Amino acid sequence: MPFTFPHFGSLKYVFVSLLHELGREDIVIPNKPSKHTFLLGARHSPEFVCTPFKLTLGTFIESLNRGADELGMGGGCGYCRFRFYWQVQDFILRDLGYKCKWVRLDYESPIDIIKELKRASNGCNTLQTIRAFQIAWIKNRLTDLTDQLLYKYRAIETTKGTSERIANKAFNLIVSTRKMLEIRCLKKKITNMFVENIEVDKKANPLKIVVNGEIYVVLEPTLNLDIHKRLNDLGVISKTPITLRRFIDVGQRFNPFIKMDFQKANAYGVKYVPYRVGGETQENLGDAFLYKKKGWDGLVHLYPFTCMPEIISRSIFPQVSRESGMPILSLVVDEHTGEAGFQTRLEAFVDLIKQQKEMNQIKEN
Amino acid sequence: MFKRVGIPRALIYYKFAKMWNIFFKEIGAEVVVSSETTKNMREVAIEIAPDEDCYSTKIFHGHVMELKDKVDCLFIPRFGSKHKYDMGCPKFIGLADVLRSLYPDLPKIIAPHFNMAKYGHGKIDFLKEVLKVGFVFTKNPIRIIKAMKKALKADKDYKKKLIIDMETLHQWEQSKVLLNDRPHEIPDERRLKIALVGHSYVINDKFCSLDIRKKLQAHGVDIITSEQMPREPIEEQLDKLENRLYFEFEREILGTIMYFLESGSVDGIIHLMIFSCGPDSLAGELASRFAQYKEDIPLLQLVIDDLTAEAGMRTRIEAFIDMLRWRKEKHAIHVPALRVT
Repeated sequence: MPFTFPHFGSLKYVFVSLLHELGREDIVIPNKPSKHTFLLGARHSPEFVCTPFKLTLGTFIESLNRGADELGMGGGCGYCRFRFYWQVQDFILRDLGYKCKWVRLDYESPIDIIKELKRASNGCNTLQTIRAFQIAWIKNRLTDLTDQLLYKYRAIETTKGTSERIANKAFNLIVSTRKMLEIRCLKKKITNMFVENIEVDKKANPLKIVVNGEIYVVLEPTLNLDIHKRLNDLGVISKTPITLRRFIDVGQRFNPFIKMDFQKANAYGVKYVPYRVGGETQENLGDAFLYKKKGWDGLVHLYPFTCMPEIISRSIFPQVSRESGMPILSLVVDEHTGEAGFQTRLEAFVDLIKQQKEMNQIKEN
Repeated sequence: MFKRVGIPRALIYYKFAKMWNIFFKEIGAEVVVSSETTKNMREVAIEIAPDEDCYSTKIFHGHVMELKDKVDCLFIPRFGSKHKYDMGCPKFIGLADVLRSLYPDLPKIIAPHFNMAKYGHGKIDFLKEVLKVGFVFTKNPIRIIKAMKKALKADKDYKKKLIIDMETLHQWEQSKVLLNDRPHEIPDERRLKIALVGHSYVINDKFCSLDIRKKLQAHGVDIITSEQMPREPIEEQLDKLENRLYFEFEREILGTIMYFLESGSVDGIIHLMIFSCGPDSLAGELASRFAQYKEDIPLLQLVIDDLTAEAGMRTRIEAFIDMLRWRKEKHAIHVPALRVT
């Protein structure tokens, strides 16, 4: 029963290594979705469902055609539609004539994750499953680190393309390392790889922009038209505080001495939306204050069309922008988003921030 | 002390109207409910509301704008859920915050929060929230608790009257009782039976639903709405889904459709959907697929938004009813025997 999962940016490498740890060798690694995948998914999807549904459905159809028949997806009961996706996708795929089995993870409860993973594993006992899960969340820290370094070095490298090459090497290293002790050493190793191998433009004074929003849009390059690359090409360092670790990194989540990024942002966000409404609403609103304090220059908020929680944050962002002084650009994406329009808006946003920064510097002098 | 409290006649007001009205009256507040939706209100709402919100939420903004200058405070509860797993729409929780952020000149917003599914709120939390709301209007806690009891009782009675039991449902299926207004008699034609399915804030709003109840009545159609359906068959039907459908209001919609598709005791089903409503998009897809598997019962899904024209809607409903009448000559309607439980 070959296993597959939706393409999810660099988290793909985490999922692959998790499945390796669970003893599964029969994995169909999803291809990077193309425009064709997107349209394929949209053709069979309901009319005004949110965009990740369409892209994941397209990816599943392509993977099923390549021989997979066990699909991994989120499940359970939650605030937004995401956890009900698989049920509808199941009916759609069945009507299209595919036969598939689902592994659905209630990702907010670690106990449920472990139970479900144990069921999906190739005869692992509970202890082995917990170990595999632990390796997955530690590897997720590493992929987040690699992404962060890539988005930084790609903006200031002198020879175009070096940092991407090194990031690919780092991802391969993350997947191929199996022993816990070696994984623990990887953090230093990956940082060194970037520091030693990339020539940076030391005179550059790049702008810094945070990208946040709905998790799937922010992390999946096909859906956000590779916004980080676009920003980096404009000479801007980008970063995203959005990470799946929020749910799966049990080590940090329940550690009283470490405050994860989302917890810090949440403290600012509750002023605007006092109760959780699902998605990352409170955290996204709080990020504006958090990153303003850290000295970042702007924030780009991404969300898919008809996303329920993010529409709330989009409606409140103008007020947050006024009160925090952080320039904010909200962008909605779906399968019809044009590259040119997207690029133009980003360029205009970057230009405005640049001007504002220069004006402020003149005032200070 | 505040005196006049404004309640927009939109979204969950249609679910809790009795309860809220009686509670505020008992604690000595004057309740101002906004008028029925009008065209003017819609124009205002479309102008000012966020673009991506669903049509019903946009209408809500229009109602708030009408009330804004007439009242001392607005009552917009953050309603999460009243079930262990099921949720309302996330927009209901964020609505008060969005309004406060968009229009800083609004009067004070009273926004109690109740969410049983995710925050595990129980009876004590409910009492706390009620007291918090009550102290805005009166200082007497006993009066508040008395008002709460009366309001809850009124709500219970209202629900009891609205939601029919299985026996009445079977009697309706056998055309022995009427549940809504008496349909017009059309000579030489049999009375049709249609299930009108949709959110309570759509089917009860004359403007949003383009007065579909009147239209069906005029065509000699006897209707049952999804909010009248008894709970047991709905739960029974939804247990067939592997993943729990965790949207509280969507459950009665999909459950009703599934029940009638299985029982075959109506001529057709009309499902009113709201454009860009989150839960509707998934449940509507499931409903249309279930209807495809069972071809005996036709399902008409109408998507409503601010551009929906009356003429187009009327044509589609008329065509649907004509089709039902034409089919009827060939298909005898199946009436299930009364189940004893």
